[in-house]
Amino acid sequence: MTEMQYTKQPGKDVGFERIRRITGYLVGTMDKWNDAKKAEEHDRVKHDLPS
Amino acid sequence: MQRAGVRTIKKRDGRVVLYDETKIANAILKALTAAGEEDAAAAARLANEVGEAMAEHHGKDSYRIEDIQDEAEKALMRAGFEAAAKKYILYRAQRTHVRESNTALMKACDEITNADARKSNLKRDNANVDGNTAMGSMLQIGSVAAKTYNSSHLLTEEQAQAHSEGFIHIHDFDFYSLTTTCCQIDIDKMFSGGFSTGHGYLREPQDIQSYAALACIAIQSNQNDQHGGQSIPNFDFGLGKGVAKTYRRLFAENLAKAMQLLAPEEPFDKERAKALCGEIAKKTGVGPQLEGDKAFLDALRLALSALTEEAEKIVRFATESAAKETDRRTFQAMEALVHNLNSMHSRAGAQTPFSSINYGTDTSPEGRMVIKNVLLATEQGLGHGETPIFPIQIFKLKTGVNYEKDDPNYDLFEMACRCSAKRLFPNFTNLDAPYNIKYYQEGRPETEVATMGCRTRVMGNVYDPEREIAFGRGNLSFTSINLPRIAIEAEKDEARFYKNLDSMLELVTRQLLDRFEIQAKKKVRNYPFLMGQGVWLDSDKLGPDDEVREVLKHGTLSIGFIGLAETLAALFGHHHGESREMQEKGLAIVRHMYDFCQAKSAEEGMNFTLLATPAEGLSGRFIRMDKKRYGEIPGVTDHDYYTNSFHVPVYCSISAYDKIQIEAPYHALTPAGHITYVELDGDTAQNLEAFMAVVRCMHDAGVGYGSINHPVDRDPVCGYVGIIHDVCPRCGRREGEEIPMERLAELKKHYPSLTEFMGID
Repeated sequence: MTEMQYTKQPGKDVGFERIRRITGYLVGTMDKWNDAKKAEEHDRVKHDLPS
Repeated sequence: MQRAGVRTIKKRDGRVVLYDETKIANAILKALTAAGEEDAAAAARLANEVGEAMAEHHGKDSYRIEDIQDEAEKALMRAGFEAAAKKYILYRAQRTHVRESNTALMKACDEITNADARKSNLKRDNANVDGNTAMGSMLQIGSVAAKTYNSSHLLTEEQAQAHSEGFIHIHDFDFYSLTTTCCQIDIDKMFSGGFSTGHGYLREPQDIQSYAALACIAIQSNQNDQHGGQSIPNFDFGLGKGVAKTYRRLFAENLAKAMQLLAPEEPFDKERAKALCGEIAKKTGVGPQLEGDKAFLDALRLALSALTEEAEKIVRFATESAAKETDRRTFQAMEALVHNLNSMHSRAGAQTPFSSINYGTDTSPEGRMVIKNVLLATEQGLGHGETPIFPIQIFKLKTGVNYEKDDPNYDLFEMACRCSAKRLFPNFTNLDAPYNIKYYQEGRPETEVATMGCRTRVMGNVYDPEREIAFGRGNLSFTSINLPRIAIEAEKDEARFYKNLDSMLELVTRQLLDRFEIQAKKKVRNYPFLMGQGVWLDSDKLGPDDEVREVLKHGTLSIGFIGLAETLAALFGHHHGESREMQEKGLAIVRHMYDFCQAKSAEEGMNFTLLATPAEGLSGRFIRMDKKRYGEIPGVTDHDYYTNSFHVPVYCSISAYDKIQIEAPYHALTPAGHITYVELDGDTAQNLEAFMAVVRCMHDAGVGYGSINHPVDRDPVCGYVGIIHDVCPRCGRREGEEIPMERLAELKKHYPSLTEFMGID
């Protein structure tokens, strides 16, 4: 059982998990990231493909 | 004689103690002795002078240690003991330094003990250590203590200063005196004949499920001997053998089953089936194997037809059932491996082993079955559909093997893309790139470049040019240079930049060699698994008390760098993502460092390699210091992070194609490791053709290692995995919102495995 399963209101205060690649690897959801990397992730722009 | 005025003094911690002139005399005598002027009488006389001066110059309530020391220095100078005065000052400074680092250490311990990891950067320095747990905190306390000791005892003054002031960063500094970084474990060799973990001997495995379980154990055991990650370079080749054994056993079992059903008059059990297969194998040279061997099957049919008329049917049943069951077992084995590697712990339970697996080039049916199933298990995800963080998976691309439509493993390349589009792994390494293909020899998997997940690559070998292979080798240690700092200090003077870069490269070289000296003096018994079990190349030739110096030389000493983009911006005003001219400048800088490493390698007979540093904690550390030193410089220090190695900055608007073309040439210059990413939006990533096109573009441009980033979100409440903008497409809730009971009941009908909630009927 995880913490969020003990509730009468399923989903209340439960956020979405966001997995992103930090460098070559993943580190789980972004709450584990350090502040600099969080800022970097925030700034990332998508790269277009030629259509 | 003691003056009436000085009876007590106040110590640094605030305690008040009796004034004791002999203590001062002793300290002065020590300084005199150190200067070669031992003179007890002079020491007593000077101590007396100190007392008098104290009473005269200082207020009664403020007799402090520092005042006494000031007076002692003056007394020594006055009496003409200049050398001794210098010794005294030096000693005093050293003590201050030790005291300050002790204070810093205690402060850090305090933060580790009391702060919540979510609020403390110190505790999130390594995202794979959970700083909120007991073992994680213990590891962190050990880490800060080791760092304090290492910097005051093992570094030269110059190195310590460069590190603490952020000119360079010595990675894994807490392990400075203890071990080396990482290793590519030849899992095939490891399994041949079994191995020992130090707590018991494990027999050579006989089934794909034990192969997979022991692969995890090997990674875990080796992780405890090193501070970096562990990788298996030949996952498909190694575990394929387990598939073959499983198939052989299941074939005999199914043969017996079919016989019992279709030829019940003939007593034919598992043992007899095994014996028969064994006999035929001896004659034909092959046993039962996936996608059968004609000679074996013909001989088996012949042998069975002497016993029953159903031989044909029986052989077909055995062949088909064994294949199906082997496939199933292999999937379960891969599923267990992925689960294990995300849940098992190493390092006193504080850390999930940092694991990587490389595969893609084994074209045997067994190897292909391994690859297919590890991809399927990864795609499926963990128990609640979570994306597996480990192992980092690397698919090796090779023309003639899996890259072109007609290649035998092309279907697996497609599967790899599909999996990566959903789960971010595998990444792709490119055996066809010129600097990789030069090592490649067909039929020798050890000559295929393999990657340690974050990016570490070890192939060339100046120490032993006959052994330019991936297996049994790894990085020993690495140190990164704060490139933007050098550029800022050069004040747009390019020549000055290169001059300062050279002296920094020299400093780092010296430091890497000093660290190597510490590592080299260790014995085999200091690395019970890595060396004791012969994982590291040539360590099987050493005894437990032999020094590891020579075999360690197969490893690499790497010089890394961060922030090429900011470096260019500081020197010239813009970066290599913005103009062709800057690209030339950028390549010149990186080539300069590459050439330096080549020259050092030749000079020292050691593998110095240039690394495109995978900066995680470092991206913030350097820029925070530089902001403080130089203020906000546009394009240089005006973000919260320095750009990763040679990357085009993440905020730069650029097409995928251009980014790849710009970054590719740097891969050839960074043999210690590199990676290029492309960011795709979620919808594009779900288009398999588009996804493959990007991978192919990287391959053709000569990118050595690359991957595609795209958002992977999950709603833990309903279990949806995919892209979630504001509203979960499955359950319709927003972040933090509750799902109404009726909606939950409805969802449960569609998704029976939906999360259970306590407190709800």
